[in-house]
Amino acid sequence: MNKKIYLIPVLLMLFSACKKNLDINVNPVQPVTTTSNLMLPGVLGNMAYHAYSHARFSVYHSFYITSRYTTNAIESQWDYNRITRMGAWRWHYFDVGSNCISLIKTAEQEQSFNYSGVGKIIMAYSYLTATDSFGDMPVKEAYTGDFSPAYDTQDVVYAEVERLLNEGMADIQKSGSQAKVMNAASDLIFQGDLSKWTAFAHALKARMRIHTANFDNKYDEVISEANTALAAWKDPVFKYAADPQRDYEKNMWGPSVPNPVWNFADITNYLGNSVSTDFFMNYLTVAEPGIKYDPRLYKLTTPGKNGRYQGAKMSEGIADIPFDDFASLYKGFWTADNSPMPYMLKEELYFMKSEAAWYKNDKQTAFEAYKSGISENMGRLGIVADSVSRYMASAKVKKTADDLTIGDIMMQKYVALYLQGETWVDMRRHKYKTDAYPGLYYPKNILAEFGGKWIQRFPYDPQTEYIYNPKEIARLGAMARNWVFTDLWWSANSKL
Amino acid sequence: MKRKLLMLFLSTFLLYATAMAQQMTITGKVSSAEDRLGIPGASVKVKGASTVVQTNSDGMYSINIQKGDVLVFSYIGFESQERTPTAASTVNVSLKTDSRSLDEVVVTAFGVKKDKRTLTYAIQSVKGDDLRQANQSNIINGLQGQIAGAQITSSGGSPGLPSEIILRGVSSLTGDNQPLMIVDGIRVSNASTDGTVNRLADFNPEDIENISVLKGGAAAAIYGIDAASGAIIITTKKGASGKMNVVASAKSFLETVGRLPKRQTMYTTGLGGTYDNSTTTSWGRKFRVDEQVYDNPKRFFDTGLTNDFNFNINGGTETYNYYMSGNYRDGSSIIPNTNADKLGILLKGTAKLAPKLELSASVNYIDNKIKEGLVGSNSGGWANSVYRYPSQYDIRNYQFDNGDPNYVYYQDNGGTETGILSPLWNVNKNPRTTRTRRTVLNGVLDYKPYPWLSVSYRMGQDYYNQTYDNITVPRTPGSWDGRLYQTRGNYVNTTSYLNTTFNKEVIKDLNVYALVGATSEYYEAKTNSITGEKFQNPAIHSVNVIEAANLKTTESNPRRQRYALYGDFRLEYKRMLNLSFTGRQDWTSTLPTNARSFFFPSVGASFVFSELMDAKDWSGKVRTIYAKIGKDAPIYRTNNNLTQYLGIGGGFVNDPTGGNPNLKPEVTTNNEYGMELHFFKNRLNIDATYYISQSKDQIISARVPLTTGYVIQTFNAGTIKNKGLELSINGTLMKQKNFQWDMTINAWKNTSKMMELPDQVRVFPYTFGQPYTAAIAASVLDMPVLGIVGTDYQRNSDGYMVIGADGYPLINSTEKQQYIGNREPKFNFGWLNKFQYKDFSLSFLWDIRIGGDVYNATRLGMMSAGIAKEAGDWRDKEFVFNGVVKQADGSYIKNTKTVVLDYNYFTTNYASVGTNFIEKVNWARMRYMTLGYTLPKSFTNRLKVNRIQLEFSAQNPFLFTNYSGGDPEVNSAGPNAGGAEGGSTMGVDFGAIPLSRTYSFGLTVSF
Repeated sequence: MNKKIYLIPVLLMLFSACKKNLDINVNPVQPVTTTSNLMLPGVLGNMAYHAYSHARFSVYHSFYITSRYTTNAIESQWDYNRITRMGAWRWHYFDVGSNCISLIKTAEQEQSFNYSGVGKIIMAYSYLTATDSFGDMPVKEAYTGDFSPAYDTQDVVYAEVERLLNEGMADIQKSGSQAKVMNAASDLIFQGDLSKWTAFAHALKARMRIHTANFDNKYDEVISEANTALAAWKDPVFKYAADPQRDYEKNMWGPSVPNPVWNFADITNYLGNSVSTDFFMNYLTVAEPGIKYDPRLYKLTTPGKNGRYQGAKMSEGIADIPFDDFASLYKGFWTADNSPMPYMLKEELYFMKSEAAWYKNDKQTAFEAYKSGISENMGRLGIVADSVSRYMASAKVKKTADDLTIGDIMMQKYVALYLQGETWVDMRRHKYKTDAYPGLYYPKNILAEFGGKWIQRFPYDPQTEYIYNPKEIARLGAMARNWVFTDLWWSANSKL
Repeated sequence: MKRKLLMLFLSTFLLYATAMAQQMTITGKVSSAEDRLGIPGASVKVKGASTVVQTNSDGMYSINIQKGDVLVFSYIGFESQERTPTAASTVNVSLKTDSRSLDEVVVTAFGVKKDKRTLTYAIQSVKGDDLRQANQSNIINGLQGQIAGAQITSSGGSPGLPSEIILRGVSSLTGDNQPLMIVDGIRVSNASTDGTVNRLADFNPEDIENISVLKGGAAAAIYGIDAASGAIIITTKKGASGKMNVVASAKSFLETVGRLPKRQTMYTTGLGGTYDNSTTTSWGRKFRVDEQVYDNPKRFFDTGLTNDFNFNINGGTETYNYYMSGNYRDGSSIIPNTNADKLGILLKGTAKLAPKLELSASVNYIDNKIKEGLVGSNSGGWANSVYRYPSQYDIRNYQFDNGDPNYVYYQDNGGTETGILSPLWNVNKNPRTTRTRRTVLNGVLDYKPYPWLSVSYRMGQDYYNQTYDNITVPRTPGSWDGRLYQTRGNYVNTTSYLNTTFNKEVIKDLNVYALVGATSEYYEAKTNSITGEKFQNPAIHSVNVIEAANLKTTESNPRRQRYALYGDFRLEYKRMLNLSFTGRQDWTSTLPTNARSFFFPSVGASFVFSELMDAKDWSGKVRTIYAKIGKDAPIYRTNNNLTQYLGIGGGFVNDPTGGNPNLKPEVTTNNEYGMELHFFKNRLNIDATYYISQSKDQIISARVPLTTGYVIQTFNAGTIKNKGLELSINGTLMKQKNFQWDMTINAWKNTSKMMELPDQVRVFPYTFGQPYTAAIAASVLDMPVLGIVGTDYQRNSDGYMVIGADGYPLINSTEKQQYIGNREPKFNFGWLNKFQYKDFSLSFLWDIRIGGDVYNATRLGMMSAGIAKEAGDWRDKEFVFNGVVKQADGSYIKNTKTVVLDYNYFTTNYASVGTNFIEKVNWARMRYMTLGYTLPKSFTNRLKVNRIQLEFSAQNPFLFTNYSGGDPEVNSAGPNAGGAEGGSTMGVDFGAIPLSRTYSFGLTVSF
């Protein structure tokens, strides 16, 4: 009997030991929480990758470059039906979005409104970047755990961008002494200068407004937001390491074709097999005495083996031209391993202002902003004064406000925003028209089944959206092979 | 020796009684008529009374009886005999084996040996000798065709590629579908980390006494978690008391390449019909007559030579026995620069510490080193680079005499290099090496206070250290500065259990068997991985010559604890009617606190109906069982984690794998019905089983919509149903003095259905089954689970291909994910024949498979690259497609337009249509043929050895199939591909290395 009584505590001890041994389902070598200053670098770095993930493909759609082959599905045929992944979708929702949400939540708990403010501005920038390629996307039911959220129309996404920007700026305003310090270690863009973040938020508003200004009369707001931004402007560019070693330290456009981990695999650059288009080369060819090419050409590209600067017809491969007769696309200002990746450039503000003023018939303002944009870009690329003045004197640059065409503005913006995704937005807004883009033509090798239509968007991620959300996908019509030829909200409504 | 062991064991189940009256004492020995050895544990009882004694370990007995009493001598598996002693005397009895009985002793869960007659579920065992006849170093491959219901596929003919075994169909959508692996009572790892060989291949087939396959969850229910996919119970050999046995053997294997995909030999590299040497695709011009054309796949593969040595000593006495074996295997393969080098040592012993207490212990040490030339990715693709290598270059010219790469194309484009190089560069310079050093420790203490009661405590640990190295040397295209990847891991699985077994005839004719136990299982792994880029000294490939900034180290530390209490109760009435009940209460650390404890039962019954009839030469039994089993989640899937941000600035970002605090166990329900028939005194045995199993609330780890904020998450959803039929027939067709012919036929069919998928999901693609978008491996709602979805042509209502106005077939572009293939075989058939003539023995196994689609992604890739045979045969030929053209009024007329099958047609039309690459495949394959010869005694006696055996064998010598590619046994990603998606790539041929044809010669000497 006694022995049996002893057993009870022994069993109880055994039971509680077992219970404790079962509580081991938390990974001991991975953190669960951290502070906002340790979360911001990842958000900013991923945002640079996100912006790149759109540009990676859109630079082919916006005629900067073309493949040396005629057979590339996306680059030469605009056929997105053979992809297994759409990286840009993940870069927005997970790599930037999910981390922004965690950052905002952590920052709010910490009362670090500087961080929550920046988090909201980046989230807005990410949504804007994503929706301008994808169109409709989940906003209201995103991040709720729902596997089949409803897709919101693009105007709803724009309203969310607006809300996030306003909240972001308000958070920055209320950031106080209890906030975690934001400095060069965490803020890789502005080193903690919050006024610059506010300026960037205004710049994003200007960018957002110019997308719709032609049908909702927002040209004035474009100009005022751009002016506000310019007043406190510093370029938000993401800087990679000066002498990068690891793939993670390199610009994705770089010649070492960085591919840090598997989820970068579908967005590695293809510049090694790509060449400048004839469209691009035509605009950069000045062919006047003493000035053969736009001096920026030598900065944006590097000489090929034969030192020639050929341009290839979009989608047609290099045909009979030797590959060595083209410029090398690597190691240019934006395409070296250590090149910076811009979120947005000052030039863009000038050209937005110029475009808005031009459409408002304020030609003088348009002309001034146009000239500022060109010289800003020349300065950025380090063009020597002599070359700049020779170029400014050439027929490529308009001399009076009255001569200025929308094509002059858009083409200068095109060069200034070399290899940026925003150019594709501009082209689609202008419906690929030749008054804005003189000399633009429909590429020859686009699959016949697409019926001569121009490409308008990216498909959603086939690996997830088409699997989990078939009803919404069907409602949108995104199952169709020619879905990417469907206009976005702002291109469908465009009056340009 | 084997039977003696068995008797020792069975003695514990026999009845125990004490003598009553004391009138005269009879002593004697009970022995087997066959080998004259004493039978321990045989029962000697007085007919019509309760007086019973049992023989001791020598078979001796002593019993007191009254004059006139009839003594009955009996033992399981022998015919009983009766004697009526007239005076106190010595009565020696020799029992003959009972050919009539159903007695086949099989190893069941927890290593418990049971008379198959009393079981309520299906079980099939393979004897070690039958396994060895297959001459496969990987035990899993040795089981091919020998188990009805086991789908075994190897990932290819390279020693480091894993094989996968799935019993009764896929039960888990993304989880591990392989059965639990138990060696001598201890759970062992069969993982294939980093895509290397499945770890069961570490164990030496020579040491195996028996493999019991518990095919369904029903048989394995008492193992609880992980038993839903069945269990494989491996029992190793043991020393027998008596004289010391020494056996040494040597075998040599010659491996030659199997069936290869066919290529065109007419066109050079190029694009769109124009010569272009910057590409590896073969869409160039026609070869000129003066140009040499190389048959590169043939020139690539080698002949492999493997030597295998075994040595084994065993023996023992009444109180102890021992077994010691050593195995060394070293061999090359059909793939250059590939070899496998394995050392295995097994030490085992049992000692009787006291009359009722026995201790057994074993240590198995394995050192397995595999170097492989061909390196693929997670989804396979091993040999694609070989199959597609252009015919205009000699694949063997990969380097110059000084060791520099011999690029067939090289361009330095402003600091970025591109180059094309023979795949033999990678094979010879950049192989991957896996080394596993493994120790399996096992100890068991058995206490038998009474013959009907035993208590045993077992503790064991499967520990292995695995290193994996993959170096890419500088100047390799795509990795010009070199790259290094290493993992170093320690994996430990510790199991212990305490079982109490009660087995007694409680009332006349009613035997009660009860097993009550408790177990603890702890798994932990600790791994470190290093990735490095840029060797500063190109000649040395170590972390020591990589700058610290270019090195990245990660650590992982998964842990899991499980506890369980379980019971197994059986009522056996006259060994005729049997009822069984099991119950198991599991606790696991991988589920949330509120869901981590669960209980599941099984109930079964069997009935030997022939007992009711006057069955002399035959017997028959029917059985049924119902069981439910729970399964837990993968480790660390209940909460979110952060992970290091590797970009500029550092810090942390969210881990792509999100947590799910609402996980609950996955539940599998099994129903099984079976019949066993034995005819002509067990000369013919038939075992048929029908089963239905259904897995609900599947624990799925998959990509989820990114709009959730996660990339991967584990969640409960989906239901899979499997049903199938298994038939196993074995018999002795002929038995004469010098000749015997035995045959076994295993036939089976499994039909699965995806009953339910998460939320709105209709098509669930498998991550590693998507080499091309034209067709992907996927599961589709309401369809067989191992499906293929993809594109097809437009078809009219009669099924004819619709041809466009341009004369080319139209692709159905609205539905890109049609169900276009079922990878599950319609019917499987294993046919084993064994002949014995005097000193010769011959055995061969045919493996026949009917139906089951294979996705020939190898050909799709070769087609896109213009190197597939058809691309040469048909390119630029005129052709009229057999199809119909739609008219303006909606009617169809036959197509008559002649078109040219050009580059554009093949690459954008033909290669985009998945159905062009789905093949319904049948095969008949001889898995092995082994001829043995035992040298005459007269000869061996002169050499003073006991026995000399010679063996000639061929593995995979014949393959007859309608498959257009290489070998149709394909599984591109293998088991647990990059995580756990068992079965997901079975039937997907993506650069598969064909199974090799192997010929071997062996010599075995017993001293």
